[in-house]
Amino acid sequence: MEVSDDIIAGAVARYAAMRGRGTLANLLAFARILKQLGIKVGLSQVLDASRSLEFVNLASKADFRAALRANLVSEKDEVPLFERVFDYFWRDFCPQRPTMEMVAPPTMLSGDRDGWADGEEGGEEELVVLGSNPQAQPDQDDEPVSVPTYSPNEVLNKRDFSEMGIEESRAVRRAILMIANKIATQVSRRKKRATRGEGIDARWTLRKNIKYGGEIVELVSRKRRIRKTRVVLLCDVSGSMDCYSRFLIQFMYGLQNELWGVETFVFSTSLSRITHLIRSKDIGGALERISDSVLGWSGGTNIGRSLHAFNRDFAPSLVTHRTVVVIISDGWDRGDVRVLEQEMRRLKSRCYRIIWLNPLLASENYEPLCKGMQAALPYLDFFLSVHNVNSLVALGRTLQKLVA
Amino acid sequence: MDPKKLTIEMIQEALRKHQYICDRSLATVVYLSIAMGKPVLLEGEAGVGKTEIAKVLSEVLETKLIRLQCYEGLDANSALYEWNYPRQMLRIKLEEVQRGDRGAVETEIFSEEYLVKRPLLEAIQSDGAKPPVLLIDEIDRADMEFEAFLLEVLSDFQITIPEIGTIRAKQRPYVYLTSNRTREIHDALKRRCLYHWIDYPSVEKEFEIVMTKFPQVQSLLAKQICAFMQRAREMNFYKRPGIAETLDWASALIALNRHELDEATVKETMGCVFKYREDLHHLVDELQSKTLDLERMLKDSTGIQA
Repeated sequence: MEVSDDIIAGAVARYAAMRGRGTLANLLAFARILKQLGIKVGLSQVLDASRSLEFVNLASKADFRAALRANLVSEKDEVPLFERVFDYFWRDFCPQRPTMEMVAPPTMLSGDRDGWADGEEGGEEELVVLGSNPQAQPDQDDEPVSVPTYSPNEVLNKRDFSEMGIEESRAVRRAILMIANKIATQVSRRKKRATRGEGIDARWTLRKNIKYGGEIVELVSRKRRIRKTRVVLLCDVSGSMDCYSRFLIQFMYGLQNELWGVETFVFSTSLSRITHLIRSKDIGGALERISDSVLGWSGGTNIGRSLHAFNRDFAPSLVTHRTVVVIISDGWDRGDVRVLEQEMRRLKSRCYRIIWLNPLLASENYEPLCKGMQAALPYLDFFLSVHNVNSLVALGRTLQKLVA
Repeated sequence: MDPKKLTIEMIQEALRKHQYICDRSLATVVYLSIAMGKPVLLEGEAGVGKTEIAKVLSEVLETKLIRLQCYEGLDANSALYEWNYPRQMLRIKLEEVQRGDRGAVETEIFSEEYLVKRPLLEAIQSDGAKPPVLLIDEIDRADMEFEAFLLEVLSDFQITIPEIGTIRAKQRPYVYLTSNRTREIHDALKRRCLYHWIDYPSVEKEFEIVMTKFPQVQSLLAKQICAFMQRAREMNFYKRPGIAETLDWASALIALNRHELDEATVKETMGCVFKYREDLHHLVDELQSKTLDLERMLKDSTGIQA
């Protein structure tokens, strides 16, 4: 979410009434503003933050900032926004009690804390002042803080996958890694008790043999019940998906390299298996190899026929009740809708879950009206958008909640 | 060092003495966690020193380091406690031969003597003079169930063993959790922790780290190494090298008795920095095409100041 300076200023103004009532009130206001701007802050964190102020030297803005950040932020991505709000909110921050700071840097000795408690009782002793306090002592932090309007992270998160640089592709890789982990661990949870491999389960053996008075009659062994999910990825590389092709490559490549047992296919008017082409970690080379060997890249689309080929040639050996099928396509189909529907039904009956990722889903006025998409919808477990890093992260969260 | 009389400066200085160079904000977080008794959640790329800080801190505080390495499928049995079944069985057998009192045996084999302590129980039960440092490494590798379980332990610092009763921590251990962010940690767990993101160090800081770890290294070589690593991190490698790689490389170059970098040396020793075949190829290409202009970079590196 892009947060403009105006929004921050507005949020700060809304809580202006709380200012001037001591550090705790200021802190509460600050936390509420953060919360309003989308940073997850709980009450316990605010309480801990206020507790932590007992321990740091409040004359140092850097320490004050570090203390608040450690308590209130719990996510790397939230850090830039925190810094901006901090700069804006505490811009008139000034050390009010310099003498004491110099004499005794705060330590954890409880004796020292008495001095602090005294200090906070008096109204004028308010350590940190909000906004336009005329009394505020100017220090180098006091001059109008220019709040940066540009945050590479935010821009990156919102930017369409159509153009991506190195930093972007790194963020994408991270998001894919998270998705891969979710798909892999969520479904394979069942194996938990049995990861230790073949061997005797002492706990259950003992339990079971209590009835024989502790004599070991029956042995209980741990059974290996690995339930690794397989993922089959079907990517639409027809002309209408052209602007997303870089992302598609990255996605296919990322998923296959992070996850065990991924099979990757691309389709336009026909279907090609490209698992072996993207097995290496060299993404640049992968792109070349794929475009060399795949026919019909950027051509028309026939989803039905491609799915039919998949169901006929590959599904019997690749798709089981533990397979998650991920289809990435905008759903624009030039083929016979009835074929598409029939093949979706067949696929559905065979696999564990079907996830359809549609880059168009994000645009506001998109509705899955095209016939192909309409026909496929009833057979989907998840119909989600992929168009930028944020949506990938959202996808990861959805999978975490839903795939169980 | 007495944890009760620490200041931020002292922590930063003590860590430095133990060869861990950190910025003030990390020292502040460490200080706060000791002062408030709150766990710390450290995130950052691989090889930036997340695990290291817990180790060094245990040295600084002169206390025990208890480490729990997480992995998928880690369960309470291997993290908390387990009964020593073979020993229990042996005891039962022995008692059968001697025809002893059955009831007594039963209470006996479920006593602490027959308990195998795993890291979490050990950390809670620790009764040394000082609380131990508990390092829960790579929490993102464990599954959600374990996270939920951990939440319970970390909020009360007590553990219930049905046969024995509730064991309460006599002193709260200093808890450090690390994560590589391969998945998100649950909010509830995050809320209980102080959060800190460890970034790659600046070139000056990295230079300082190298010089601290290897006092015998020539400063020219150290500067060149750091300049190279900084540049490498800006480029599109599959795995960005961390500080661990920097130190590996430096020690390799010292062992080879090199005093300066040149293209041949870089190519010979690249295995210390890049661990994927594709990355090695990529590097050779970049060197050839001068996208990574080694000569110029080495010349510029002399400007680095500690």
